[in-house]
Amino acid sequence: MNTIAETRTKSLLYLENVSVAFDGFKAINSLSFVVEPGELRAIIGPNGAGKTTMMDIITGKTRPDSGTVLFEDSIDLTKKDEADIAQLGIGRKFQKPTVFESHTVWDNLELALNRDRGVFGTLFYRLTAEDKTRIEEILETVRLTHRKDEYAANLSHGQKQWLEIGMLLAQEPKLLLVDEPVAGMTDAETVETAILLKEIAKTRSVVVVEHDMGFIRDLGVKVTCLAEGSVLAEGSIDFVSSDPKVIENYLGR
Amino acid sequence: MITSFIHRALEGKIVVAVATLLGIAVLVPALNLLTPPDSAFHIPTYVMALFGKYLCYALLALALDLVWGYCGILSLGHGAFFALGGYAMGMYLMRQIGPRGVYGNPILPDFMVFLNYKELPWFWHGFDWFVFAMVMVLLVPGLLAFIFGWFAFRSRVNGVYLSIITQAMTYALLLAFFRNDMGFGGNNGLTDFKDILGFSVQADGTRAVLFAISAIMLSLCLIVASAITRSKFGKVLVGVRDAESRVRFLGFRVENIKLFTFVVSAMFAGIAGALFVPQVGIINPGEFAPANSIEVVVWTAVGGRGTLIGPIIGAILVNAGKSFFTGAFPEFWLFALGGLFIAVTLFLPKGIVGTIQHGFRTRRAYKAAAEAEKGRDAPVAIAQAAE
Amino acid sequence: MLIRLFSLIFLILSFAAPSFAQSDPKPLINHLAKADFAEAEALLGQIAATGDTRVVPALQAFSDGDLYFRKSDNLVFIGKAAGAGFDLIDPVTGASAGQAAKNAVTKIKINNNLRRVIRSAMGGLTLMSPDRGVRLSAADAVLRSPSAENLDLVEAALAKETDREVKARMEEARAVSVLSSDRSVDEKRGAIQTIKALGGRNALGILGSVSGSIDASLKPDLDAAISAIQSEQQLWDMGQNVWYGLSLGSVLLLAAIGLAITFGVMGIINMAHGEMVMLGAYSTFVVQQLIRDHAPGLFDWSLAIALPVAFLVTGAVGFVIERGIIRFLYGRPLETLLATWGVSLILQQTIRSIFGPTNQEVGNPSWMSGSFPIGGMTITWNRMWIIVFSLTIFFALLFVMKRTAYGLNMRAVTQNRRMASSMGIKTPWVDALTFALGSGIAGIAGAALSQIDNVSPNLGQSYIIDSFMVVVFGGVGNLWGTLIAALSLGVLNKFLEPVTGAVLGKILVLVLIILFIQKRPRGLFALKGRAVEA
Ligand SMILES: Nc1ncnc2c1ncn2[C@@H]1O[C@H](COP(=O)(O)OP(=O)(O)O)[C@@H](O)[C@H]1O
Ligand SMILES: [Mg+2]
Repeated sequence: MNTIAETRTKSLLYLENVSVAFDGFKAINSLSFVVEPGELRAIIGPNGAGKTTMMDIITGKTRPDSGTVLFEDSIDLTKKDEADIAQLGIGRKFQKPTVFESHTVWDNLELALNRDRGVFGTLFYRLTAEDKTRIEEILETVRLTHRKDEYAANLSHGQKQWLEIGMLLAQEPKLLLVDEPVAGMTDAETVETAILLKEIAKTRSVVVVEHDMGFIRDLGVKVTCLAEGSVLAEGSIDFVSSDPKVIENYLGR
Repeated sequence: MITSFIHRALEGKIVVAVATLLGIAVLVPALNLLTPPDSAFHIPTYVMALFGKYLCYALLALALDLVWGYCGILSLGHGAFFALGGYAMGMYLMRQIGPRGVYGNPILPDFMVFLNYKELPWFWHGFDWFVFAMVMVLLVPGLLAFIFGWFAFRSRVNGVYLSIITQAMTYALLLAFFRNDMGFGGNNGLTDFKDILGFSVQADGTRAVLFAISAIMLSLCLIVASAITRSKFGKVLVGVRDAESRVRFLGFRVENIKLFTFVVSAMFAGIAGALFVPQVGIINPGEFAPANSIEVVVWTAVGGRGTLIGPIIGAILVNAGKSFFTGAFPEFWLFALGGLFIAVTLFLPKGIVGTIQHGFRTRRAYKAAAEAEKGRDAPVAIAQAAE
Repeated sequence: MLIRLFSLIFLILSFAAPSFAQSDPKPLINHLAKADFAEAEALLGQIAATGDTRVVPALQAFSDGDLYFRKSDNLVFIGKAAGAGFDLIDPVTGASAGQAAKNAVTKIKINNNLRRVIRSAMGGLTLMSPDRGVRLSAADAVLRSPSAENLDLVEAALAKETDREVKARMEEARAVSVLSSDRSVDEKRGAIQTIKALGGRNALGILGSVSGSIDASLKPDLDAAISAIQSEQQLWDMGQNVWYGLSLGSVLLLAAIGLAITFGVMGIINMAHGEMVMLGAYSTFVVQQLIRDHAPGLFDWSLAIALPVAFLVTGAVGFVIERGIIRFLYGRPLETLLATWGVSLILQQTIRSIFGPTNQEVGNPSWMSGSFPIGGMTITWNRMWIIVFSLTIFFALLFVMKRTAYGLNMRAVTQNRRMASSMGIKTPWVDALTFALGSGIAGIAGAALSQIDNVSPNLGQSYIIDSFMVVVFGGVGNLWGTLIAALSLGVLNKFLEPVTGAVLGKILVLVLIILFIQKRPRGLFALKGRAVEA
């Protein structure tokens, strides 16, 4: 790793030699991985490759057994918990869409808005004109304006995925981690989602985990292929998908 | 800031409920004091005392609802906070007895004389002062909730586990308060109260005022609870209940949110206990019994958790039922209560008020959907086609 | 008790004594009438030296303050209050000697010193009894209150003794007596060794009592012996405490083991678990009642008959509860809590309506009563059987879960319901049977607990919290965890008790568990993995 010195100076997210084992099973095995500011990155890999676990580590849900995880070159994420990391500016969409079903779409976004998150801050919070505009913007972005007063429970699966992405936007993160956003979506929704993510990536870094090769192609960005907890190949989609190891491990199955 | 906080609380249903409670606070004591005993409108003192007790239970149920209905923490130990508030009030009332006890000791309550105490234990000091006692009514349950919650929520003890350790907490306190050398009167508890702030606790006038204060405190707590639940904080609470990890990953400190709610709830319960004690005239360790705490859960479930009015209605209905049954067919009360538990969980999981509200909500949702029909755009059409 | 001993002694004496008589004890006894305390003590020595065991009842009467002399002729009799006066009994032959008015006789004065002398004298006398049991208890009596005066007697008896056990006991008695005599230092040194080997609190007391008066050259031996006994004693005390702890632990295990299935494996927060235990206990009660009424000869078998009955009854109740209520509530754990609490209230009230609110008498079969010693510990049979029994149930259950097809199905269903059902497992059946199994085991536990606890409608309430604590502490879904949690909580409780008192000990244990759950929210032996996090 002779490039560490250069990459470190400009990385947004930096993982080096990260390992974690569950009961002896190595879910992540000396994983090293760098995301630059403004980058949109796709991650592929077979089931159980450790993609979700990697996100768990970045967002503080799982502590790695060893290795370095740095945000903006200096902040050690392994020392922080989920709330700290979210406040630092890392947003995460879960594999299974997770929104507040008994709140309206509007309330979901209002909750996610990047404002004082303390007990008293929220107790005495009042919706300002500025916040209102911001929520309306996001509603437009995720195409949910017409359903803003409905309970999230009544949304379709795809709309919940979008709402969750909208909530992440409201959080104004510097880095967005998106786990399988198009699973269970129709083809048309998938296309829309790719457009949405590319739009979002204009203003921040995004890491997308996906299985859907068509979707990855639509994104048209650098791809990292994970298998058995470490990086197998990295590069353009065509480069990666022609790599014999990737074919053997993932595509060819 | 505060005004808008309170203003937000006063939404339709709450206003109606508060108005009703305040009406009761005036009307019931008036009918008790001002009408002659043979009048058709007269409310006998024992009925008023009974309803005063129900109001305290209603406040306890409201307290539980705040943590269970809104935050998803099923506490099986709320009776402990209630009892602690009650003991704080009981200690004040004991000190008011002064030399009128059986043993005539001006400082030591009877049970201490009986147990050969030479002087007042340190933790009894100050309780002869009403203001101090009232601060303790809030502080002691609040502090216990804080310590307990601080540990439990930080280490993310959740769901069933949390329920079980809250039960263990109240059970441990039950055992502790049964001990004579705890200095709280052992299994007899505190009783034989004489007066409160100089007024005899037996007098009709005092009882009427206590009743009115119970109704007013319930209204106040209802307003506070409503203000909390209708604020952004309240929405976060519901978020914690429904999708805790989402709240965490949005950057909220879930442990602080839970802790705040738990402490506020414990204080509500403490107030309820403090109002309860002068009206029933006794507080003993039995109030710590885990079964009591579980019963509170039923009141809340019957009325409808996650609604603020529900637990109040539930507590009053179930306890009125209990009074009726234990009077008319004592052996059937447990059958009725047990059956109620089962029936509510099986057939009415949202409780009475929750079910009614849900009905309204679905009607509104239909309307909203019909409106949306007209102005939908492309992806939604696709999305809905996919459904 | 005393009366029994008394008559026993009489019985033995009527066969035995005269052959040992060296001189007639009667005049000696009559001398007691006018003796002061010091003279009486000397007389007692002479009486004992006669070796005539017939005098034992008189000595006993003297010690009890029942020895009188007739004022008219200064003859001594054993007196028994009868109406206004006394029945007089000959002090040697035990024959009736007529009556006397109250003021015609005077009680012979006694003090504690004389009582002690009497006790050792009697011990010495009965050492010669032809009955082995009497000799043994006589040796024990000497052991308990040694005196130099008895030494010759003990040694004489020892020379004649053939029975090994009695002989060993007499050796000990001799050693004890030697210490308080004026024998040689060497002999005493040997005695100290014998007493040290004897061990126990008694030995400690004996050595302690002579430590002030003993020859300085023996002091080191004595101190070494005392500290050796002390440390041994501590070990035995610890052993006894561990035993009590295990016994409590096995009760906890019994109470918790059914819950380890319904709550631990199935995830149902079964608040009616305690009532299943209670139903088991009542089943035992009913079975015993029937046996008492119809086949009293089978009483010793009542528990064996009650166990399967309890299992079937509570299992059936469990089955009905699962099919009728719980199956609608899977996936809503906190609501099963409420519903099953409701069930528990109904079951309690049902039992109360049928049997009344009071405790029911459940008898112990003969093989469950009594106790036996192991070294310095006492082991009661019922505790012993409860431990054996709880472990048997535990391992039987473990076998069912781990080694049978049914157990495999059950684990499959609890781990992944949908997958299991798509593989052809009838999940509703498995659910119902598993719940019935858990309930049935709770019932068996109730049958066992009926032997050591009050059988009342509230029986279950007293176990429910402990049971949950055990299962949670051990780690939900882990049977071994339940075993270890139950036993270690039991032992911990018993070790805290002497220090803090029972109630405070229990409170401390609860607090410890609460704190422990903070550290390890999933218990001692947590299942790991994602499934449990959901
Ligand atoms: N908390 C955990 N406990 C035990 N095993 C885990 C845990 N988290 C992940 N794993 C295991 O790690 C492996 C990687 O899982 P995951 O990251 O979800 O893969 P992917 O998202 O790439 O499909 C899987 O085999 C999974 O079972
Ligand atoms: Mg995944």
